[in-house]
Amino acid sequence: MSEQADVIVVGGGSTGCGVVRDLARRGLDTVLVEKGNLTHGTTGRMHGLLHSGGRYAVSDRKSARECIEENLVLRDIAGHCVEETGGMFVKRPEDSEEYFQEKLEGCRACDIPAEVIDGEEARRREPYLARDVEKAIVVPDGAVDPFRLCVANAADAREHGARIETHAEVTDVLIEDGEVVGVEVEHDTGPGKRVHREPGTTEEIRARYVVNATGAWAGQLGEMAGVDVEVRPSKGVMTVMNVRQVDTVINRCRPKGDADIVVPHETACILGTTDEEVEDPEDYPEEEWEVDLMIETLSELVPALKDARTLRSFWGVRPLYEPPGTGTDDPTDITRDYFLLDHDERDDLPGMTSIVGGKLTTYRMMAESISDHVCEKLEYEAECDTAEVPLPGSEDFSVLREYMEEFGIRSPVGRRSAQRLGSKTDDVLSSVSPNPVVCECEGVTRAEISHAIGEAGSDLNAVRLRTRASMGNCQGGFCTHRIAAELTQEYPEPVVRDAEDELYQERWKGQRHALWGRQLSQAMLNHLLHATTMNRDGDPAGLDAGVDFAAFDAGPDAADDPTGGDAGADSGTAAADGGRPFDEGGIDGDR
Amino acid sequence: MTGHDERDTTTDADRIDDGDNAGDVHEPHPGVPTLGRDEQPSIFVPDDGEPEVADGGDERSAATDGGVKSATGGSDSAELDPTTYDPVDVFPGGDLDLRDGADSCYKCTSCDTSCPVAAVDDEFPGPKFQGPEQWRLKRKDDHDIDASITSCSNCMRCDDACPSSVPLSQMHNEARGQFVERQMEKLSREYVRNRILSNYRFFASIASKVPRLANFATNLPGAMWLAEKTLGVTGEREFPPFATQTFRSWWRERGGAQVENPDKRVAYFHGCYSNYNTPEVGKAMVRVFEHFGYEVLVPPQKCSGTPMFANGMLKDARRHAETNVEELVAAIGEGADIIASCTSCSMSLRQEYPELFDIHGIEDVSNHTFEALEYLRIYEDLEGALADSELDEERAFAYHAPCHARNQGLERQAVETFRDVDGVVIEDVGDSCSGISGTYGWKKEKYETSMKIGEEMFEHMEHAEGDVGMTECPTCAMQMEHGTGYEIEHPLQLLADALPIDA
Repeated sequence: MSEQADVIVVGGGSTGCGVVRDLARRGLDTVLVEKGNLTHGTTGRMHGLLHSGGRYAVSDRKSARECIEENLVLRDIAGHCVEETGGMFVKRPEDSEEYFQEKLEGCRACDIPAEVIDGEEARRREPYLARDVEKAIVVPDGAVDPFRLCVANAADAREHGARIETHAEVTDVLIEDGEVVGVEVEHDTGPGKRVHREPGTTEEIRARYVVNATGAWAGQLGEMAGVDVEVRPSKGVMTVMNVRQVDTVINRCRPKGDADIVVPHETACILGTTDEEVEDPEDYPEEEWEVDLMIETLSELVPALKDARTLRSFWGVRPLYEPPGTGTDDPTDITRDYFLLDHDERDDLPGMTSIVGGKLTTYRMMAESISDHVCEKLEYEAECDTAEVPLPGSEDFSVLREYMEEFGIRSPVGRRSAQRLGSKTDDVLSSVSPNPVVCECEGVTRAEISHAIGEAGSDLNAVRLRTRASMGNCQGGFCTHRIAAELTQEYPEPVVRDAEDELYQERWKGQRHALWGRQLSQAMLNHLLHATTMNRDGDPAGLDAGVDFAAFDAGPDAADDPTGGDAGADSGTAAADGGRPFDEGGIDGDR
Repeated sequence: MTGHDERDTTTDADRIDDGDNAGDVHEPHPGVPTLGRDEQPSIFVPDDGEPEVADGGDERSAATDGGVKSATGGSDSAELDPTTYDPVDVFPGGDLDLRDGADSCYKCTSCDTSCPVAAVDDEFPGPKFQGPEQWRLKRKDDHDIDASITSCSNCMRCDDACPSSVPLSQMHNEARGQFVERQMEKLSREYVRNRILSNYRFFASIASKVPRLANFATNLPGAMWLAEKTLGVTGEREFPPFATQTFRSWWRERGGAQVENPDKRVAYFHGCYSNYNTPEVGKAMVRVFEHFGYEVLVPPQKCSGTPMFANGMLKDARRHAETNVEELVAAIGEGADIIASCTSCSMSLRQEYPELFDIHGIEDVSNHTFEALEYLRIYEDLEGALADSELDEERAFAYHAPCHARNQGLERQAVETFRDVDGVVIEDVGDSCSGISGTYGWKKEKYETSMKIGEEMFEHMEHAEGDVGMTECPTCAMQMEHGTGYEIEHPLQLLADALPIDA
């Protein structure tokens, strides 16, 4: 099976989704392939900061200017993905006054609106700030939901004729006569939506041009094409708090350093981060000291963090790049700028360009520049309109106000739903009746879940990322099975079971790094509830071996009857343990 | 204890002589924060002759605060120590930020299963939603508390049910306050009705000037029908009669305390109902405590705030709390502990006051407050005192423990005190809620819910041997009487009868 497209974009992160939208809107026949979910790589593993540019105002003014420019664009075109929280660079007594002034000058030089407030005013705005914070620079930082942003880009691309293939890993780059002509992908479950238990297939996709937008994985794709792409992946940890201690982005005003930012994100706060080079973007140590460092250092800014409940931690890998020969040792010194590597010019391999470096805030600008580049290569002329046209979900956002009464859902649930769904709120919330809340922590209703299932198939992690269902304080303990139950209309039981397992395991994975105090209690409660009500600690259906029904006794009636079989004789091994026919290892193994 | 030592030491006689109206004799002390006194209510509920203070406070100030406002606004109680600083005052206008209370919630749903309203009303989403879930979903700029908060009766059973100390009732009280303040139409019948119900003390104080006329008027045919039609107060209930002499007037007539004892002093917080409607409870309290050698003080006082919390009238509650705290702190300074005969009053002083307000000395008030029987059980040998008691005739009671007593761990005290007393049969009618929850069951739209909740209690009362009811809570008593027709007594009344006290 083979297909000829204009462009294949490899990588479903913010850059790839931005590029596929841009090219599709320009009228090119485009295919996006991604090995996991959209945002599976780095995009889905960031703290969700919409940069004002303030962070780079001293070290990298070019990036700073790009950030503020794109920050304003995203507020316009992606209103339903952005929360205009505002941000502060706060100075503690031990932080350098000189640097504070440099930061302020830098912001002004880069046209970033900046205002200095004293410590008292800063605490009036954010009462959880430490009492000894001296002053702060207020900048227009914001919070952005990277997944919603990518989904909206991909949806718009699809509306303009693009094909979006998730769970389709590139296994080879096709080269004919010294030119890249396409890629070979391995579909996890066959092309289209992912459905558990469907057999995988392999597909060759041909195109006139290939864009490598795989970020930290760009080196691996380069290798398949026989070219060197020297990405220097650098890991960073992020820790998620259960509630928002602050409602504005809090940055520490000092030169580069670990653990210097708190981003309010949806119902939570995300603490970040570290910066450490790793060899392999998929296999690196996730270490406890990194999490401890976040909480310890950031409680200097927000003391309440010390005793606050953590939900989980996750790590992301930055796709840092520096031109060969720069020779920087410390990853924090590597530029955050992005680079187009035209493999024709660079490696005499026409038909492919890699894009590396950069950051989410400027994804649209990067996409525009690589789309211009691709159009030039294909000798195709079209205007870019991605800075003006709102993304699906962000049109007419202001009309959404009186939704609660109408849809019969509780005020805060309605408000959060509308924030996630944007201009789709009406259609989605009126699609299902009755419409109970499925995920109580995040206020997600059945209508939103089934809408997401319609888009994502049986992949409940994709449903989670679209809706935030299972991302609250119980981490899926009370809702995974309810979400999975929504699949049963359409999918057979084994598919539902796998989908549920996958989501629950994903939730567990991140909690492992926050297992103390109250989240430990939560995990224990979840475990016991699932064990005692759903038999999940030893469900025969989840085991390979069949059920040994003979191990059950014949019941109380049989015991009275001396001729009633061997129940009496076997009573020593009967069902006092709940009927488990297996030894302990067999029960809990590999689940 | 802090802060009472520099207070003036008004003599007891001064304290007891100012009659019903506390406010018109005592000038507000300097140093009491003025926050909460500055609002201009859209219906005017005069506050017992206290002049409406129109000082230049922040117009947007909300009634509650968590340490920041009053620390800088006149009180000298809160030290601005960065390590102890508890910044709940996050949202604009002094509202509390209780989002971090959601950190303690494991979603276990114990609160929902203990909620008497959720048990009978499918539309009510329950305390977990009203509390930790709604708070966690809230952002600083959000002002849309779900209207279902008005269906919470503030029985506070969820506090007791929660295994991990989520501040549920605090969350509910604050959410309800914000809802009423920002989202409720101030000219609506519901608001006016709720304002009147929660300011029962004001209307009772007027009615008590002419109790016979007031009783006559409320008993007129059609009076309750009119109340239902115009105000939405249920016509199914009969208005409780006003006593012909208030407790305070009796106290004054009697010449105040008959026992003087600087080593054993209690300050009686009689609350509104014992003063205006059932002074026999207050009199029993005085007789019992004097029997045990206590000097009883009766400081000036206003409403404990319970009906105001339940109706989201936090500014009214705060205004009354300022007087109460000031007077009670002075009493503590004279060596007294605070005794309430109403379990909702003691609940309010103990728990809701420090949770919702930061008034100089409010923690001291909380730490020194006890329910009457509880106090005697701690400090006196009640069992010994009752060992030889003889009642004139055998008496049997059907005892109901109020939810607010339950929350203070007092649900067994009456049964334990009286079960071995000769001539007394006392039966606990179970752990259900009476359903009235103060003003809740008086609302037309809540009446049915209230009676449905009460059904179990009524049934168990009928099955109990006694045909006299007993409870510590005046509104539970109303409900018990309403549902069974029984006469209802307070444990203090039985105690006064059972102890060898010269009448």
